[in-house]
Amino acid sequence: MAVGFTIDVEKCTECLRCSGACSLIKTGKVQISVSHVVIEKRWPKTPEIWVCRFDDCDKPCIEACPTEAISIKDGIVVIDPELCTGCNSCVEVCPYRAIYLNNNSIAVKCDFCGGDPACVKECVTGALKLKEGSR
Amino acid sequence: MRGSMFDKILRIDCSNKRGYSWDVPETLKPYIGGIGYGTKILCDEVDPKINPLSEENKIILTTGPLTGTMAPMHPQACIVTKSPLSNSILDCYAGGFLGAAVKFSGIDGFILEGKAPEWSVILVDNGKVIFYDASPVMGKSTSETETWMKQKFGNDVVTLSIGIAGENLVAMAAIFSETRTFGRGGSGAVLGSKRIKGMAIRGTGSVEVQDPKRFSSLVNDNMKLIQESCSQEYSLVGMFSRFGTGAGMSLVQSRGALATRNHIYGSFSKAPNIDGQYYEKNFYTHWVACYGCPVHCGRVHTYKNNDGTDGWGRGPEYETMFSFGSDLENSDPDLLAEVNHLTEEYGVDSLTAGVTIAWAIEMAEKGLLTEPSLPMEFGNAETILGLLKLLSERKGVGDILALGPQKAALKLGGEAINSAMQIKNSGFAAWMPRRMKGVALAFATSHRGACHKRAPIGAEIVGHVDMSSYEGKAAMVKEIQDTVDSIFTLVSCRFHEFITPHPIYTEFLQASCGMNLELSKFLQVGERIWNLQKLFNLGAGLTREDDTLPERCFTEPVLGETSEGSTVDRDSFNTMLDEYYTLRGWNKAGVPGEAKLKELGIEEYADKLLN
Repeated sequence: MAVGFTIDVEKCTECLRCSGACSLIKTGKVQISVSHVVIEKRWPKTPEIWVCRFDDCDKPCIEACPTEAISIKDGIVVIDPELCTGCNSCVEVCPYRAIYLNNNSIAVKCDFCGGDPACVKECVTGALKLKEGSR
Repeated sequence: MRGSMFDKILRIDCSNKRGYSWDVPETLKPYIGGIGYGTKILCDEVDPKINPLSEENKIILTTGPLTGTMAPMHPQACIVTKSPLSNSILDCYAGGFLGAAVKFSGIDGFILEGKAPEWSVILVDNGKVIFYDASPVMGKSTSETETWMKQKFGNDVVTLSIGIAGENLVAMAAIFSETRTFGRGGSGAVLGSKRIKGMAIRGTGSVEVQDPKRFSSLVNDNMKLIQESCSQEYSLVGMFSRFGTGAGMSLVQSRGALATRNHIYGSFSKAPNIDGQYYEKNFYTHWVACYGCPVHCGRVHTYKNNDGTDGWGRGPEYETMFSFGSDLENSDPDLLAEVNHLTEEYGVDSLTAGVTIAWAIEMAEKGLLTEPSLPMEFGNAETILGLLKLLSERKGVGDILALGPQKAALKLGGEAINSAMQIKNSGFAAWMPRRMKGVALAFATSHRGACHKRAPIGAEIVGHVDMSSYEGKAAMVKEIQDTVDSIFTLVSCRFHEFITPHPIYTEFLQASCGMNLELSKFLQVGERIWNLQKLFNLGAGLTREDDTLPERCFTEPVLGETSEGSTVDRDSFNTMLDEYYTLRGWNKAGVPGEAKLKELGIEEYADKLLN
């Protein structure tokens, strides 16, 4: 079973509905600053969409974690908050800027909403889609 | 706190360089937010007679109960202040991300008061106010100022700024927020008069709603409706989604209502060179949306500057395609894109600036105005670029143009005023009163002057009603004005109401912040605001004489084959104006009657604002 996104930045309008939906499903509130998908504007160029790429990444975060807090469960890269020490190693090696430390200094990232990502449902232009074969 | 409303407004005392939180009083809450909050606060706290550029004036920037939520098409922030252009109350709007940033700061808005002792930039960091010295960015463009603020404060701030026009107190100076514009009425000059060059807002907090389940269901329904509309070939919003706001230029042209050469003609043969479809085909890089908006009517374009270098910018929007396009007989899409970008960089309203320049060129052709440093010709790049620069710098003839079209024309004297296409000194938006009689009344009675946001444009241009008829237009205009002022309490995008049935607004209101209003009461809030703004304007000295059209509209028929012969008949217009005042419960002088003010519960403002 594949896990990941198909991303087409040419179609991204930078509206942030993905970020809003991500924060809403994780916290019950809209809070763009804690979203696990980040839109970076680069006018006049098209934007970057920063989010975990799952299958399409060599996952250097797993190697970099000194406490083995990062693992793959059902194909999804997840961080165990109990084991994370907030050392920032995974943040530094992530090629997609998909991990950051939250207010409690625990590394957090996209968990693919367990297979049904809220962000994808909000993307009206198809810039962010489920990768073919994803659940 | 009520759901999505924090019930806190940040007061920023520029004179003492400090900010403090102000709890929204119970008496303000029925005004919902947005224009409602701004209007009531201005009427409560600012004497209508003040000089708009004095430190007594205030800039009230507000959001609404849907700002920052997942509700689509609600990105905008609203500014209310006293306008230095029209000397009237002004409400103006900008999309983008500023509204959401304010909300994520844990406040519903902020009020700028007083005047800073020296030029400053203000950082509002999650509601904490810090003043910084603005000297490194004085004389800089809006984008340079924004870049400087982001470098200084971090990329996660959303900014607003003024350019040289705001610094120079140009009457039509605008406030820019990352290419979105508080365009109309000169709010940039008010910010300049307070010696505030820019602001950076960092909001990392959250917005929640009263009834998340109900709210989410409303959002889904509304999203579905909007997306359906976007996919329809002939839906206006669908056309905006595909081609930007310039999509409808050919329709306007076919109806003989595309104002050309300072409104002498009603069509422009070269319009296909500068419409939305042309830009989409030749200059397009990518779509850009405001916060949370599925329509994405914005575009980033690349083009060639007049000096041969590469340029890029967001827009032009439709209104600018008129004001710096057809109205100036400018059919060069590169020049139009460049000049649109320059209005942002200098920081002026592209509408009033373009209209003023069109008038100036006509005056020069008639020998009534000179500018020795420039050729004075329609469609000439040097003329257009040069006059915009002079106006923003207040140099040469630009010092007169910077006053606005009416004041500039009065300074010239004689017949100059007849062809200044303005109302209350505010330049015409992209529509022709002589062709569209409802627009004629809407422009004339607009509190901020020649306002396109509260005019029956869609109904008239599409042909749902006979655009040349005066019949029934008074009632139509009143209804639109009241409705729009109602939805502007939520700071809805104007396009939202094109496709959304009205009951959704009260449902959104209840689910977001627990306000329970019947639809008729919600729409009455708009009527209340309209009347309150009227009282402010009367107190500022405006009269029935200001609710009229330029002489050209009454006496000079529109030229061009699709619009041949149209004028506004003076008697019919006055009859329509009388009818409108009567429907409003106002007397012949346009003064709201006691009964109407009592019905709306604002009778105490008659004494307060009129004396």
